[in-house]
Amino acid sequence: MNNTIISNIVRFVSLVLLQGLVFKNIGVGWESFPYLHIIVFPLFILLLPLRTPRTLVIFLGFVAGITVDFLYDTLGVHASAAVFTGFIRSFILRVLEPRGGYNMTYSPTMKMMGIGWFAQYASTLLFAHIFFYYSVEAFTFVYIANILIKTIVSFIVSMAFIMIFQLLLNPKE
Amino acid sequence: MFNLVQLLIKLSGFLVFLVLEVICFTLVVRYNGNQEKVYTNTVNKFTGWLQQKSTSTYQYFQLYDENKRLAKENSLLLDRLANLGINVQNPLDTAWADSIQPKYTFLDAKVIRNSINQHHNYITLDKGAKDGIRPHTGVVSDDGVVGIIRKVSQNYSVAMSILHRQANINARVRHKNYFGPLVWKSDNVHIFNLENIPKDAPVTKGDTIETSGYSTMFPPGITIGVVDKLWMDPGSNFFTIEVRSFAKLSNIQHAYIVRNIFKQEQEQLEESVINEDE
Repeated sequence: MNNTIISNIVRFVSLVLLQGLVFKNIGVGWESFPYLHIIVFPLFILLLPLRTPRTLVIFLGFVAGITVDFLYDTLGVHASAAVFTGFIRSFILRVLEPRGGYNMTYSPTMKMMGIGWFAQYASTLLFAHIFFYYSVEAFTFVYIANILIKTIVSFIVSMAFIMIFQLLLNPKE
Repeated sequence: MFNLVQLLIKLSGFLVFLVLEVICFTLVVRYNGNQEKVYTNTVNKFTGWLQQKSTSTYQYFQLYDENKRLAKENSLLLDRLANLGINVQNPLDTAWADSIQPKYTFLDAKVIRNSINQHHNYITLDKGAKDGIRPHTGVVSDDGVVGIIRKVSQNYSVAMSILHRQANINARVRHKNYFGPLVWKSDNVHIFNLENIPKDAPVTKGDTIETSGYSTMFPPGITIGVVDKLWMDPGSNFFTIEVRSFAKLSNIQHAYIVRNIFKQEQEQLEESVINEDE
């Protein structure tokens, strides 16, 4: 139990710092290709234990998002996307529920749920997150084509990073 | 109560989501330049649109009053137009006091009953004796002569439409001063006959027919129609003239009742002369 909390706290700090200090600069640094933006911090929301209450997931999403926003100096943009991701997590989990149901003591990690299940789970949520993020960033659907291109490109790269993290660290919780 | 609590627990996720998103969007709009611009722009556009819609809706409800106002204004303008003639004929410096007094006044009335498909058609108007209407006064509309008041009650008056076999309106050819009675003989609501025009009159197709002003019912110069066909019947000394009228009597909504202020005076004088001779 304590183990789970500690590992989640560690994941929170490391992902937020990684996002705000490292990936922020990668995104900005590629002036010739502003469509790419690597977003990995939603992994924290994704890997919260299955037994976490729904409201807590949403709230933790908000906390993570607003922290990233402070580092990005875009108050509210990341937070709104993270809140959205936290909100739809339970729906996605319900859709992807295996035949026997979830073991509620697990966290939805690759190690516990298998690579196929995790890829489906993570890609759905991440795509939703990035799409929401770019929509809020543009704040209008007038440039929907632009939003979609940015979403797709960023999604592919971010998804690759998330899968690499999981394969390298392969956390249980 | 228990159900309500249960419902709240069930909805708690959604409520938290909603509250946090509202906070987020407030922050987004408050602290991010681009989004703030988009937001203010959109809000301005929307409120502008709303303002416009509400104004036009409001105006729609005002249409009835607006119509009444316009009809009133029209009658005022017609007053001036009809009285323009006498004032011009008697310039102020040579005129005596009576000539600047208006000769005709117009009262706008609503048509509340109308027929066009009989040989004797009548129009009922919503003004009556209460408003000073008397029988044998003319009724005109924006596009021509409508009829002649026959009977008046306290609040209503019934006019004989010009689409009446016995209607007889004194008309003339504009600028040519040949005049005669205009009657309705055909079955077509737009075709009238102008009679008693001598065959030496220089009338041609397309000439405008207007009221002559010789009767006391209509002021001179109100357009009735144009000459559509004219021919001479053998052995007759007069033209047979078919006049195509402008008036749209089938959908008439408003009409103006013409009041000739000197009507009584003129008629009494004429009558006294006729009586003397008899």
